[in-house]
Amino acid sequence: RPVLRAVIRVTLLKQEPSGKPLTLEGVFVGGSAGYAEGKLMQYHPLSLCNTSEDERQDSDFVTIVKLEHRVPRCLPLLDKARMALDKGAQAVIFDVSDDANAAAELRETESLPRPVVLVEAEGAEELMGLVNKNEEAKVRIEIMVESQRWPHYDV
Amino acid sequence: RIQDRQGSGTPMCPSPCQCEEDGIFVMVDCSELGLSSVPTNLSPLTTYLDLSMNNISEIQPRAFHRLHLLSELRISGNQLRYISGHALQGLHNLKVLMLQNNQLERLPHDAPWDLPNLLSLRLDANLLSEVPAGAFQGVRSLRHLWLDDNSLTDIPVTALDSLPSLQAMTLALNQITHIPDYAFTNLSALVVLHLHNNQIQSMGARCFEGLHSLETLDLNYNDLQEFPLAIRTLSKLQELGFHNNNIKAIPERAFVGNPQLQTIHFYENPIQFVGKSAFQFLPKLHTLSLNGATQIQEFPDLKGTTSLEILTLTRAGLSSLPLDLCEQLPRLRVLELSYNQIEVLPSFYHCSALQEIGLQHNQIRRIESSTFHQLTSLRALDLSWNMIEWIHPDAFAFLHSLIKLDLTENRLSSLPVAGLGGLTHLKLRGNTELYDAFSPDHFPRIRVIEMPYAYQCCVYGSCDSYKSVSQWDTEQSNTDEDLHKRTVPMYPIHTDTNYDPDLEEFQLEIEESKLQTSVQCTPVPGPFRPCDSLLG
Amino acid sequence: HKPISSVSSGCQQGGCLTCSDYNGCLSCKPRFFMHLERIGMKQIGVCMTSCPPGFYGTRSPERNTCTKCRSECDSCFNKNFCTRCRAGFYLHLGKCQENCPEGLVRSDTQRECVS
Repeated sequence: RPVLRAVIRVTLLKQEPSGKPLTLEGVFVGGSAGYAEGKLMQYHPLSLCNTSEDERQDSDFVTIVKLEHRVPRCLPLLDKARMALDKGAQAVIFDVSDDANAAAELRETESLPRPVVLVEAEGAEELMGLVNKNEEAKVRIEIMVESQRWPHYDV
Repeated sequence: RIQDRQGSGTPMCPSPCQCEEDGIFVMVDCSELGLSSVPTNLSPLTTYLDLSMNNISEIQPRAFHRLHLLSELRISGNQLRYISGHALQGLHNLKVLMLQNNQLERLPHDAPWDLPNLLSLRLDANLLSEVPAGAFQGVRSLRHLWLDDNSLTDIPVTALDSLPSLQAMTLALNQITHIPDYAFTNLSALVVLHLHNNQIQSMGARCFEGLHSLETLDLNYNDLQEFPLAIRTLSKLQELGFHNNNIKAIPERAFVGNPQLQTIHFYENPIQFVGKSAFQFLPKLHTLSLNGATQIQEFPDLKGTTSLEILTLTRAGLSSLPLDLCEQLPRLRVLELSYNQIEVLPSFYHCSALQEIGLQHNQIRRIESSTFHQLTSLRALDLSWNMIEWIHPDAFAFLHSLIKLDLTENRLSSLPVAGLGGLTHLKLRGNTELYDAFSPDHFPRIRVIEMPYAYQCCVYGSCDSYKSVSQWDTEQSNTDEDLHKRTVPMYPIHTDTNYDPDLEEFQLEIEESKLQTSVQCTPVPGPFRPCDSLLG
Repeated sequence: HKPISSVSSGCQQGGCLTCSDYNGCLSCKPRFFMHLERIGMKQIGVCMTSCPPGFYGTRSPERNTCTKCRSECDSCFNKNFCTRCRAGFYLHLGKCQENCPEGLVRSDTQRECVS
């Protein structure tokens, strides 16, 4: 059976064709595993709240939010993910490097309409590095399929 | 149009400010430069001057006396305690004056500011505890006034008398406790009045006299004990808010004087009583929310309130609904009537725009064929926690858009499936007499389904994804040793770093849930809830 | 309006209380407005004493936020009350319309309905 990990391939929009895409891994949340593609767009953690603006993007985009434990949660993370998807995101990437509770909070999830991925550590740092330098990029999210890992499940 | 930058330190542009030419005029930005006083060598051709976010604690007299063409002056975010009338002499053309986020404790009264063309005055976020009677005598053209986030304890009635052109004002976030009669009597052009986040407990019956143009009145977050009857004179009112107050009753014909009302926000009030005619004749009202008004025994008479789209009337004492409910409310999209004592439902046939119906926690026993007939836009129907024993075979036949149906905790022994092919969520838990094992063909798009019994989930393949009982036992004994082996390869990135145990446990559980089929059927069969029905 | 330098982004500006390299301001000092500014693909928090053109400020005991005006307004007092219109619209009693009520005429320089 497929394994719920995500492969995220990042290609800079203003890069020579030969440029090798950055690849990192993440973990899909709940039943949201799936394929998605779009321009990377950062959202401030406070932008996914009930009082937030309805900021529409013109092309397909993938939202990335760097979560910070110092920012009081205006909404549960699942609602933030749904709000991002409702705003038109093809997928949502949460950088949980600085928010240890995020992963646990997203455990009890019902099905999500589109992919929501958690990233952390070096992969997340590289991704956020691009954002910080405002280097426009396109991301492609795929399901990493692993070989069967639990033989004793074979019936 | 702004053409090009002006070098700092030139005759037109005092150092260390930044300037831009605008034709023959110049726009000067001296913000966030640590200045402690107003630059002295400002050009008379300055039309825009930004001194915000500096350390200016005083404005020297005649600091701006040559700036006859200045249109906008920003001195917000400084340490100003007082600004005399002389300090602002010469600003004949000033239209916008921003003084917010200072420490202003008082305004001049004997020699007020002489700004004949001022349109917008920001005094918010200061320390004003009163406004002298004559403070605004020199700004008679004013349209927009910000006095919010100060320490006012009263409405500055006399000072406001000098502002016949005022159109928008906020007195929010102060400590006002009472609105006297004729408080705004001269403000005939006022369109917007914000009074939220004060401590208003009472108001004169004639306190809003004179506000002939008022469209928005915000009384939210106060301490009002009674319904604000004074609104009766506000014939142009469109948006009214008095949520988060202490009001216990909405009287009969409460809004008789406000036919233009579009929105009324009054949640978070201990409202017990609502006059039956309270919400009549509001042809532009599109949302009405009433929660917890326990003394409401009868459905309100909504004659003439024909544009209602969202009606929420929960936790009241309704036991029945008017038969002509939908004739009165043809545009209804959301009907939320949970937590009442409704026994019999009328036909919602004429509410053809209905998308959501919430009737949970009532006493409904039967659903007739006509109840939800022709509701082709209905997407969500919540009938949980009722006493429904019988549903007509065609009750759901025409609900082509229905995706969510909740019949939790009723008394069903059978469920008519005609019309339910589009469901993605179906909840039947708690119907203890419902034994049917529904075929997945009935619900081809289902994603979440709750059944009364675990064996009813077996048709969704939940059983074969689970080990037989014996295998279940052996699995338990060597879980720990298995745990490490399965997750590490899963996320090789972390082999050398101190990996977050929380995320690892989270991955493991995600694995488990993914092993099930894509339909989430509960209760999930297990050792004590085998696939074979105990009753054979 | 504030045409010249936009507010310096990132953590240096005076109104910021807590800050992060990636998200800019996370919270503001009391009485400052939090504005979420989009710069290309980035969105950072900025703390200011008045919201930028095209936004209005809403104060509350918990937080002060900037919210976008209606599209036809260059500046506004609240969601339903404009104080200056975009080109092609004319202001009358807080509304920006393409035409003026009877008895008033359009002033292109002021973008208002005038008698």
